[in-house]
Amino acid sequence: MTLAESSAEDIDKAAPRTANPGGARRRKRRLFEFKSDIPASWSITLGILVWVLFFGFWEFAVWQNWANDILLPGPGKVLSALYTLFTEESFLYDVVVSVTRILVSFALACLVAVPLGILMGSFRTVEAFFNPLVSAWRYLPAPAFIPLLLMWLGASDAQKLALLFLGVVWFLTTLIMDHTKSVPADFVRTAVTLGGNRLQVLRTVVVPAALPDILVAMRQMLAVSWTYLVIAEIIAADVGIGAMMMRAKRFLHVDQIMAGIVVIGALGLLFDFLLKKFHGIAFAYLEENVR
Amino acid sequence: MASHVKLSVNGVCKSFGHGAHRVEALRDVSFNVLQNEVCVLLGPSGCGKSTLLNIVAGLQDPTVGSVVLDGTEIDGPARERGMVFQSYTSFPWLTVEQNVEYGMKLNGVPKAERMERASHFIDLVHLTKFRKTYPKNLSGGMKQRVAIARTLANRPEILLMDEPFGALDAETRWHMQEMLIEIMKSSQTTIMLVTHDIPEAIFLADKIVFLSSHPGRLKAILGLEFKKGKDIRDKEELITLDGYPECERDILAMMRAEARPQDAT
Repeated sequence: MTLAESSAEDIDKAAPRTANPGGARRRKRRLFEFKSDIPASWSITLGILVWVLFFGFWEFAVWQNWANDILLPGPGKVLSALYTLFTEESFLYDVVVSVTRILVSFALACLVAVPLGILMGSFRTVEAFFNPLVSAWRYLPAPAFIPLLLMWLGASDAQKLALLFLGVVWFLTTLIMDHTKSVPADFVRTAVTLGGNRLQVLRTVVVPAALPDILVAMRQMLAVSWTYLVIAEIIAADVGIGAMMMRAKRFLHVDQIMAGIVVIGALGLLFDFLLKKFHGIAFAYLEENVR
Repeated sequence: MASHVKLSVNGVCKSFGHGAHRVEALRDVSFNVLQNEVCVLLGPSGCGKSTLLNIVAGLQDPTVGSVVLDGTEIDGPARERGMVFQSYTSFPWLTVEQNVEYGMKLNGVPKAERMERASHFIDLVHLTKFRKTYPKNLSGGMKQRVAIARTLANRPEILLMDEPFGALDAETRWHMQEMLIEIMKSSQTTIMLVTHDIPEAIFLADKIVFLSSHPGRLKAILGLEFKKGKDIRDKEELITLDGYPECERDILAMMRAEARPQDAT
């Protein structure tokens, strides 16, 4: 550290103390301030507080007997149900099956949506050709296809994958198209005046420029995927998290149903966290790597 | 200085839209740019100077007329006419070095030569210490220097610049202007630059092409005789030259005359 740096830092540190000798004119930090940052300690405390209140309220409701014990088990019971599920009822297998369904169907959706969205966002002709189709499908609720899919594919894995695929592919395509469109026009113009042909510009400018936002779109749609997974598994399945929950319903095991919800929530958060981390590492060159 | 014609703009007209919505942007503009000359396109806003530069770049087609570079009529964008934009175009996913090598890579320049040319032009724009830096850690002026180095390293026949310093603060701006003059002296390049900044135009130009507005027509070609043959490297030198105030005043008067009809409406 050079002398100049250290002294500048010292002044910085000293400033609040010397500028405020009697503690007189310093403005008090207020709890609610428009769009202003809060200290890290505050956000951690608040983040824990909301869960404490949540579990506290839950325990309170159980203790007060607001509902039948069977319909509303306490957090402790749900936790022990979760433990039993994993140790005695091979719940891990259900989880693996569900996660596999998500990953396979989502990979298939990306395989279609990424190239299609990039081409639609790059070339107006491709957009004019595909967009009427994609837009129409986007407005059709995927669950509406369940009877049809059941007739065509039976209660198979393929039926579930097809539902998950239909649930995300159209939105993913549209999001990727929009992100591709927002690649700065001057990036493309720079590349063509440097002598780039269309394939080079697509490969070396459009794709790398759109990629960070494409990953954000994937993160958003992966969350939607979980919604369709539960729908798919509740309707006709023997294995999977949703199937376990339907089994538990038959035997009035509300604690197991709740355990299933907890697991879905935890897995969703985990995937989201991993993708966010990956975004930060892969696109460290971006100016604002938040979201 | 060689004085043969590098680029000629021949009777270029440009209009947008059809029927009642037809807007005429350029009307019958013709002029030449000589080898190693700095030609500045100047005029009030709405005079179509950026449109004209885009036509020269091949990014837009003229409705009538043609642009000829080295005896060949241009058709679409190409390496020979590299362009620097007002917005920052250094690719954020590439380091300074990779950005400067980018154009050469597109054109299949061998790696060894690519690296050599890149390091030469990075030195030329004073970014030697930032070779491995990503654009997010560069200031606006530095990003523009990357764009200039990238275009020059690609060896264009003519360098096109669309208000390249327009987004920079005043101080950075004249530093960049002086750097551009330094570059022009060391690497013989023909330049066509668009600006609406009068002192910038006088400082950089060998020839100012003044366009009038709505539609853009050629109003005057100024030779800037007062600074001919003088080796001017900084702005103080320029503004103390005999003839500078008159030159600036004349251009300002032309600007005002062009702007007046618009004010009335």
